[in-house]
Amino acid sequence: MAGRPLAPRIGRAVLLAFFSALFVLYVAGPVAWLVSSSLQTEAQITAIPPNWLPPEVNFGNFDAILNAAERQVTYETRRQGDPATGGFLPSGAANLIPSLWNSLTVGLWVAALNLLLSVTAAYAIAVIDFRGRRATLYTVLATRVVPDIALIVPLFLVIRNLGLINTLGALVVTYLAITVPFTIFILISYFEGIPRDLYRAARIDGCGHWGALRHVYLPLSLPALVASLTFAFLTSWNEFVFALVLTQNVAAQTLPIVISGFVMDFTTSFSFVNAAGVIAIIPPVLMAVLFQRYIVSGLTAGAVKG
Amino acid sequence: MAAITCEKLTKRYGSVTAVDRLDLAIGHGEFMVLLGPSGCGKTTTLNMIAGLEEITDGTLRFDATDVTWQPPHKREVAMVFQSYALYPNKTVRENIAFPLQLRRTPRAEVERAVADVSEQLEIAHLLDRHPSQLSGGQRQRVALGRAIVRKPSVFLMDEPLSNLDAALRLSMRSLIKHLHQRLQATFVYVTHDQAEAMTLADRIAVMRGGLIQQLDTPDGIYSRPANTFVASFLGSPPINLVEGEIAADGRFARGALRLDLPPGAVAPGRAVTLGLRPEDVAAPAPGLASLEARVTLVSPLGSETLLEVVAPGDVALTLRVPKEWRVRHGDSMTFGIDPARLHLFDRQTEARL
Repeated sequence: MAGRPLAPRIGRAVLLAFFSALFVLYVAGPVAWLVSSSLQTEAQITAIPPNWLPPEVNFGNFDAILNAAERQVTYETRRQGDPATGGFLPSGAANLIPSLWNSLTVGLWVAALNLLLSVTAAYAIAVIDFRGRRATLYTVLATRVVPDIALIVPLFLVIRNLGLINTLGALVVTYLAITVPFTIFILISYFEGIPRDLYRAARIDGCGHWGALRHVYLPLSLPALVASLTFAFLTSWNEFVFALVLTQNVAAQTLPIVISGFVMDFTTSFSFVNAAGVIAIIPPVLMAVLFQRYIVSGLTAGAVKG
Repeated sequence: MAAITCEKLTKRYGSVTAVDRLDLAIGHGEFMVLLGPSGCGKTTTLNMIAGLEEITDGTLRFDATDVTWQPPHKREVAMVFQSYALYPNKTVRENIAFPLQLRRTPRAEVERAVADVSEQLEIAHLLDRHPSQLSGGQRQRVALGRAIVRKPSVFLMDEPLSNLDAALRLSMRSLIKHLHQRLQATFVYVTHDQAEAMTLADRIAVMRGGLIQQLDTPDGIYSRPANTFVASFLGSPPINLVEGEIAADGRFARGALRLDLPPGAVAPGRAVTLGLRPEDVAAPAPGLASLEARVTLVSPLGSETLLEVVAPGDVALTLRVPKEWRVRHGDSMTFGIDPARLHLFDRQTEARL
């Protein structure tokens, strides 16, 4: 670089910095606003010009969420709170914390079962030579070609006839149908990247198929496994449409459903909704931070072999 | 120890037959080399013996036991791979101990066996490293260690030396031969390298197109090749093959070239291929056939000299002569050839006559 003229180098640096900043603003801006507005009162976030940073940090919204169960919400109490200052509580506020637990429960079950089902299926398709393995793979993948929205009515009928409407189990089963085919696909390409001779050596050394899976494929595909866990959990955590159709009340409703319910016909407390949003992104963020060093190599794993 | 018996062993992939009704009996403690070019079915045969490839047809026996349908981990065989196939997430110690751990061997015994094996293979100082920190030769030693630690009765080796450089290959070759002598186990060794086959084998099975072309001792294969394929696959530089026919006087004829053959070898008029090993020439002497040729290239090898010559009838030959012969490019020389050392093959069937 030493020999190159100074001006183009500076120009390049400026350009890079400018577009990086633009990109960060684009990606992180909404999140920043979410966090910032959750710490403001309703009056502060509706002010013009907007308060990009909270004029004073105010945990009132979080306080309201955590204590929503004790507050009575009636037509009168709604009116008491001045809509402009955000004393207003949506009627479903008390459901927020239970729905958080529902989301966590469903997410963890989906993550665990997804891995269990996908690992065994991917191993069978990638490693064991059986008649029809290609057909099996294509069948599994073909289920993902149908848009989810087209499946809603039949799925609702099946779940209803099984008597599973408004249960967490219904959500777990439904989400697995979304995550398993994709995870199988990712894991197959990862497994196929593991040298075949290692499998052969393990079989010779005394492993059956379970042993080869445990001693060779699982330890060597840790990044892909962690990525699969994260993917399944996040898919379950964020899913909206199926949960909306398959659940009816606090017994099984997940966080996205309850939060969306805060947008009311009379009035909507944006600061309150945003505080709930902040609570909703905490688990995924924690997960991403925890697993970040695996996730990057896991997500690219399927793309490039070797 | 175990004897391995293959009866009509067949492997088909769809319409492709990789191994075709192979009959092969490998004795107790024998060192059998499967030799052939790539795609000849030698590795498929090895994998069928290991249990890594399903057998399409035929029977495989270890001693009297039918193991045709036994999975690999029930067969008590050990295998060494060209790619070493060491578990990258395990240390050398864990790699070697792994087969024993799977057999629930007591810990103290595992430690003793690993120490013993690593001593033998001179890898004791590497036990705590991971495979990625080892050189190719060290990795192959670890792979050997993992194979011998179980004291199996059958060793299978799939081109174990092909990824090593030339010098290392020589030392590993003698290491493997020593191992065989000490362990007294049955070895089945796959290679496409004729020098490995010649030096290691008790017997060699030369394969082509899924069929065994010849099964014999190294000396038998070299000095009495069953057909032109076997003849040209072994020997470096390769055997000279000259197409011609048997003249009325019983001599080999190709254009102006005439060569004496052992009396009454083949009936006159037959179309044949003549085989002459480069080293089977000598100074002209009574009792030897003589061959006039012009030298077109001289390549000294130090211990001997390679010559490219053109004999009458425009027949190009490669010859190997003692370094003491003072030969220069362009010389015309007379060579002596012992008719008994010539090989004759049918030109149609390529089979030895």
